[in-house]
Amino acid sequence: MIRFLLSLIVALVIGAVIGLYFGWVRFPVLYLNSPAASLADRYKDEYTTMVATGYLKDGDLGGAVDRLRVLGLPNIPAYVQSVTERYISNSQDSNDIAYLVALSEGLGRLTPIMQPYSQLHAPGQQP
Amino acid sequence: MSRYDSSGNYAPDSKSKYRRPRYPFSPWGVVIGLILGLAGGLLYAWVVNPRVEFNTEPWQLSDADRANYIAGITLQYNYDSDLTKAVNRLVVLRLTGDPIQAVADTACKLASSSYVDNSSGQRAVRSMMTFYQLQGRTGCADTLMALTDQSTPNALIEAATPTLRPPATKTPTPPIPVTVVPTQQIVVIPSIQPQADFTLVDVRTYCSKELSGLIEVRVQDYNGDPIPGASITVKWDSGESSFVTGLKPERGADYADFQMDGGKSYTVQVAGRSDPSQALVAGSCNDPDTGQAALISYRATFRPQ
Repeated sequence: MIRFLLSLIVALVIGAVIGLYFGWVRFPVLYLNSPAASLADRYKDEYTTMVATGYLKDGDLGGAVDRLRVLGLPNIPAYVQSVTERYISNSQDSNDIAYLVALSEGLGRLTPIMQPYSQLHAPGQQP
Repeated sequence: MSRYDSSGNYAPDSKSKYRRPRYPFSPWGVVIGLILGLAGGLLYAWVVNPRVEFNTEPWQLSDADRANYIAGITLQYNYDSDLTKAVNRLVVLRLTGDPIQAVADTACKLASSSYVDNSSGQRAVRSMMTFYQLQGRTGCADTLMALTDQSTPNALIEAATPTLRPPATKTPTPPIPVTVVPTQQIVVIPSIQPQADFTLVDVRTYCSKELSGLIEVRVQDYNGDPIPGASITVKWDSGESSFVTGLKPERGADYADFQMDGGKSYTVQVAGRSDPSQALVAGSCNDPDTGQAALISYRATFRPQ
């Protein structure tokens, strides 16, 4: 009986470890119907750039903020500023930087590092 | 030889389990323990404490947020007209069927919901309509909304500054001649993309009644991996047509095709990034399987140089 119990306990531990490995690493839970707030950072950045481009097209600052609200951010202007400065620091695509700077400027956050990239302006935005 | 030992007991047979050495573990214990442990581990990892959700990709988004993402894509397309970038981003969304038609379907849903209650939503849906209409698709949004923005423009309010009334002068001020000098327009010439990034590495012909007169194009990278969203141009004597790879996902992300008319010659190229192919003639042939007359079809593969 002791032999049986010892075997059971050892196998139980090994089985649990294997189960955790498969459940967390090999075949983790695949989430569907996720909120935009859980998007990977690179897709959040991409989405922010798209919204900034939309702002350049229509000059609708409220609409741009509405579209960014789905990312579940506590402070949208600060987030846009942060993304813009990160793009500048990492020498990302200059067009994307110009789009983001325009949106950041529209949100009243044109910092000194952004000024050289402030070339594009949305309709109604003062250059 | 007697099988009774000195105590008078009957000795077991040599093949009896009582003569075999005992395992250090219990096989039943191991099996039951492994099954229980595995089940418990999976239950804990999948239900009780699943991996925290992070690095979600756009295709995992809910319908509402996916629609927002599509709106972002088409808003950017409306500004930069970069079809390749837009299609690449749509491919990431893993939309079922034709991704551009999926945009039309999404616009249809949004146009018939409260999403278009404000001007921002209307602009987003209009950007989708512009996008899919330019690619020759239609959707119910076409009948629900006008393509052009008929709303009033965003009001720009400037704070008024009081202006002091100037003192009256005795002599009237002569009118100042006003000459309007037009400012010279600045013409921005787009830089030319490097030519001939891609080369036609393989062209094969085949004859099939079902796929008669088809040019099948594949665009791949150095490793032969598919490149979705590559813009392809087919030219013939009286016109040309452009389309992108990846719009028939069931045929592969690198796939696009074009239907030829009989008797004409065509050239195919990766738009602006490769030289035109040799003339592909839509001549007649006989299907080797059915013996029926058909037009020659081509399979062309482009890869980076």
